[in-house]
Amino acid sequence: MKRNLPRLLAITALAVVLAASGILARALNPRATGLDDRSEVVFWHFWGGDDRDVVDEVVRRYNESQARYRVRAIAMPGNNLQAKLFLSIAGGDPPDLVNQDDPIVGDWAARGIILPLDEIATRDETDAINEFLFPAARKLGTCDGRLFALCNGLDVRALYFNQSILDQHGLPVPQTIDDLDRIARTIAPPDSTDFRSRNFGYLPDSRRLWAWGYVFGGDFVDPSSGTPTLDNPGVIRAAQWMQAYSKSYGADTINRFRAGDQSLPGKSFPLLPLTNEEQAGRYAVIMDGQWRVRDIRAFLDRRQSQSLAAPEFGLCPLPVPPDGRRDAGWVNGNFFVVPRGAKNTRGAVEFMKFWIGLKNPGQAARTCVTGGWIPVSPSVVEHRDFQAFLEREPLFAEFVRLAASPNQFPIPVVTGAPLLKRTVEQAASEIMSHPETDAAEVLDQANRRMIRSGFGARHE
Amino acid sequence: MASNSQFRPTVRRRPSPGPLFASPWIIGFVLLVAWPFAASIYWSFCQFDLINPPQWIGTDNYERLAGELRDGTGFAVALRNTAYYALLSVPLSVIVGLVLAIMLSWPIRGQAFYRTVFYLPAVIPVVAASILWLWLLDPADGMVNFLLGWLGIADQNWLTQARPAVSADGVATFTGWLAGKNELTLMGAMDALVLMSVWTVGNSMIIFLAAMGDVPKSLYEAATIDGAGWWSKFRHVTLPMLSPVILFNLVMGLIRTVQTFASVYILSEGTGQPGQSLLVFSLHLFLSAFSDLEMGYASAMAWIVFVLLVVCTLLLFRTSRYWVFYRAGA
Repeated sequence: MKRNLPRLLAITALAVVLAASGILARALNPRATGLDDRSEVVFWHFWGGDDRDVVDEVVRRYNESQARYRVRAIAMPGNNLQAKLFLSIAGGDPPDLVNQDDPIVGDWAARGIILPLDEIATRDETDAINEFLFPAARKLGTCDGRLFALCNGLDVRALYFNQSILDQHGLPVPQTIDDLDRIARTIAPPDSTDFRSRNFGYLPDSRRLWAWGYVFGGDFVDPSSGTPTLDNPGVIRAAQWMQAYSKSYGADTINRFRAGDQSLPGKSFPLLPLTNEEQAGRYAVIMDGQWRVRDIRAFLDRRQSQSLAAPEFGLCPLPVPPDGRRDAGWVNGNFFVVPRGAKNTRGAVEFMKFWIGLKNPGQAARTCVTGGWIPVSPSVVEHRDFQAFLEREPLFAEFVRLAASPNQFPIPVVTGAPLLKRTVEQAASEIMSHPETDAAEVLDQANRRMIRSGFGARHE
Repeated sequence: MASNSQFRPTVRRRPSPGPLFASPWIIGFVLLVAWPFAASIYWSFCQFDLINPPQWIGTDNYERLAGELRDGTGFAVALRNTAYYALLSVPLSVIVGLVLAIMLSWPIRGQAFYRTVFYLPAVIPVVAASILWLWLLDPADGMVNFLLGWLGIADQNWLTQARPAVSADGVATFTGWLAGKNELTLMGAMDALVLMSVWTVGNSMIIFLAAMGDVPKSLYEAATIDGAGWWSKFRHVTLPMLSPVILFNLVMGLIRTVQTFASVYILSEGTGQPGQSLLVFSLHLFLSAFSDLEMGYASAMAWIVFVLLVVCTLLLFRTSRYWVFYRAGA
């Protein structure tokens, strides 16, 4: 008995600790105490860093406003959200709502991974949402005429420029492709050799063939047949124009300079000067999204607080070739999807409506101002809070204007879109890395590869 | 009268605890290795997207792979890149591992410290190591180009250049440099990956070190008596005695290179770029299975590479009879 005493004591202590933890857990969990009998909506998203705080704030506001539903947000930053989602669906326990930003809507819709909105919302709600959205936001979530994803924030790209540098060289704000080429040639003459200490005027990025392809009047998929059209004349012209930069400056020079952008401290915006003494960044003109407005504002505030002179920055739509599309470009964004097997679809619909501001645009305006996101509806844009924000940030206003353009296109919402995106980017990278290659031939081969993979055939 | 056997005490056969203790591993092996292994054969003949039930499509996936091999696209690119990586990384890792092991076997002061230093990269997590190399190999501001500059060697483009050093273009660049026509910018993204793999050579180095300690002293003494110098001892004693370990490192290295994924994924941001130069087999398989949801196609690809790996390993074992020496009685 004596020998067993310490063991008995240890077991008793363990039992007490376990019981105490159970009581404590019940006390801290409002659902377990019966204080919160609202129906739970499990929401998976990918945001991290500062954006996660914005998301948590939206969830908090929603939960405070609600008597029926309570959202539990689970952050999964990184690249593994997709694999976890598939496993949860296969295992029969998916979340009720997921936020994504990859071009997966067409693929997931065709495979029955996500539910169309008209199956989980009423007809009136679906009609109201369709009417509420910007065309670009509608295109992002629509597959075969049905809304499968509800966009809650748009990402639009335009050209940022350093007005002071353009003025210094007597160059106008680029409105045409020729203007842009002139800026590039004037600020960084291709026959000059000292590129390392150079500020480039403009350099195209191979990943942006999506944007330039649309600007040059091209399409990557035939909307009527669903077949890939990477060999479209507009896409080829865009690729040839981008390749001309590799021919002028040399592919290695461009790649090397671009790699330097990635090693900037905190991946800072390469348009901005790095030191207090400088007035120019690495580029005079660069394509980027609306989130950079915050970086410019922070930079200008910093300079002002230190009583230092700051250059002037501006923003313009992507310049067009003679027969190109105006106010055009590649748009993407964040969107909600409801996975197959979700248990609380009604709660998911209510939360989505709250976030986009269908009934209360002021809420959505507040979210967009805090996060620096482009609203998905003109109703939110027109709200006084958002208008006040636009008055403070005129560069952002230009993005909002572009978001409403019918010439802003997402990666086509079709089956196999991730493969299409990768194939286009690989082809563009090959074209720019090898200036001696025939851009038309590379795109033609890529197109044939897409067709052989079954793309388009499956779409039908 | 009762026979003796009636009085024999009953001996209860106790069940052997062995299988019971091994059961967690056996269950894990069956569920997580054997079953997926077998299922992937079936899936390779199906269209399967992980979510919906697989649909039998016969040999379509294999025909698609054959088409890509004919055209030099997709799977062919992945195989070519993997072969380049394996052909450079495996022999280099063995040679560097062996040379380091020899140097670290010298009885010098601080031997343990040097052994630790050279082994250290092998225990650094691959993600941390990959990010570190991204900085080191930055063409504009990286430490490696900075050091090369000290030696009078031109900046290399490393992870931004699709063209590998060992290629027709690489040879043209080299001859152009000899003729004074261009700079010697040889190294591409795949060469950067090879460099990274050689940096983490610590594991094979440790195996070589252990094996060297196992070489009987009497052999060296006999060689000394026969008048053998340092090189002869290495050539005729050390190397033959290490040959089983070299074979082991070659086979393991081959498997490792085919499985390389995390570093490639990080270096190319999951795309295989620049210009598909980092699209190795494992990345192509991952993207096909989990991004394009083509699990059937990915399974077919995995099986072809598995067969290729088995053939290569068998070939290595076949050739081993000519160059691997096993100690008598060992």
